[in-house]
Amino acid sequence: MIDIKGLRKSFGDTEVLRGIDLSVADREVVVIIGPSGSGKSTLLRCINFLEEPTAGTITIDGDEVTAQNLNEIRAEVGMVFQRFNLFPHMTVGENITLAPRKVRNTSPEEATQVALALLQKVGLADRIDAYPEQLSGGQQQRVAIARARAMKPKVMLFDEPTSALDPEMVKEVLNVMQELATEGMTMVVVTHEMGFAREVGDRVLFVDQGVIVEHGTPEEIFSHPKEERTKLFLSKIL
Amino acid sequence: MNYDLDLAVSALPLLFLGAGVTIKITALSVGFGIIIGLFVGIARISEFRLLRLLAAVYVDFLRGTPLLVQIFLVYFALPVVTGQHMDPFLAAISACSINSGAYIAEIFRAGIQSVDNGQMEAGRSLGLSWAQTMRYIIVPQAFKRVIPPLGNEFIALLKDSSLVSVIGFEELTRRGQLIIARTYGSLEIWTAVALIYLIMTIAISRLVAYLERRFQVSDRH
Repeated sequence: MIDIKGLRKSFGDTEVLRGIDLSVADREVVVIIGPSGSGKSTLLRCINFLEEPTAGTITIDGDEVTAQNLNEIRAEVGMVFQRFNLFPHMTVGENITLAPRKVRNTSPEEATQVALALLQKVGLADRIDAYPEQLSGGQQQRVAIARARAMKPKVMLFDEPTSALDPEMVKEVLNVMQELATEGMTMVVVTHEMGFAREVGDRVLFVDQGVIVEHGTPEEIFSHPKEERTKLFLSKIL
Repeated sequence: MNYDLDLAVSALPLLFLGAGVTIKITALSVGFGIIIGLFVGIARISEFRLLRLLAAVYVDFLRGTPLLVQIFLVYFALPVVTGQHMDPFLAAISACSINSGAYIAEIFRAGIQSVDNGQMEAGRSLGLSWAQTMRYIIVPQAFKRVIPPLGNEFIALLKDSSLVSVIGFEELTRRGQLIIARTYGSLEIWTAVALIYLIMTIAISRLVAYLERRFQVSDRH
């Protein structure tokens, strides 16, 4: 589903990603872990070109991502942000229906029905007319997930989706993500939630200093890490 | 010193006429200025270098030269090029709109840049184009934040519009001059003119403060 080859990204003189090769299969859940500043978020943001790679190619479902086909590709790639990034001047319903209406030309009635169905899945159908500021952080993130899903993406990217949440709200968001994985969504998740990585991840990537240091099943990474750097990182957080 | 109150009072109807014209040119110019400013302000931060450059030249030229000179350029210099006589009303509105557009462009640019970058990223990640994200997500949020500086621009232009009196356009200041030419009542008329400007600017700043408060209550919607 996603094919990344020789991906490099520099900001000025700093090379943040130093040659990343990664394939994500259809329906696979890949969890990226690593210390802050390791480049894991940048890697995720390069997949839909929120950061334009300095070198390398990214192919999504057979189409190479370029500056020309960005809007088409991004419509197929859902993204969930750490800070939710809901549109504060729109209701929950408007947040979810905007892109389907404007990008896919879905009728307002149909878009609203889809929004309602997606909100039901995240347990917020009764908040469709609320504004984001009236919701808790956890609720906002669940709306953000519903908003991304409304475009019927082939892949979903999660950039530390629970890092900005109060502890008691982390679970409700992780549950929604777990359900999404069960439904067969292809997902790439950058997170510090090791419990989630272990339970939901098909594969775990440990990224440090701009390279994939080690990857394997959650069992392999968490119970039998091979690389010293992985062991050191895990010893600090577990 | 003698203050002839009757003279001042008898001049009021004519001065009010002039004040009406002052409000009209200011409102029209700020109106056109908002349209110009929206496009120029967005061009200032667009992805296209040429657009950015053109917008920067526009803003720099109009903010870097006096409005009075700009009025002369439109009223006296432009007809030399076109060979057509310039109507004072058209000249006044054009000069003020184009000038105001440059200041408003900067207001909009700042307003747009004050919207969290995550909003643009969220819009783009959903497949919306840059222009769609601007239109549906960024500009509506920026608009509420630019109300106070837009109010200030309105007040500034209301006062600066007195400059169009030099091309004989009969707004408040010019009306005052004409009455003085007839009555020699400099003291009475200029104080009356100043007072009328003051009343107008105070009224506008009150209105802006009210709008600002209203939007603060419902900050986000």
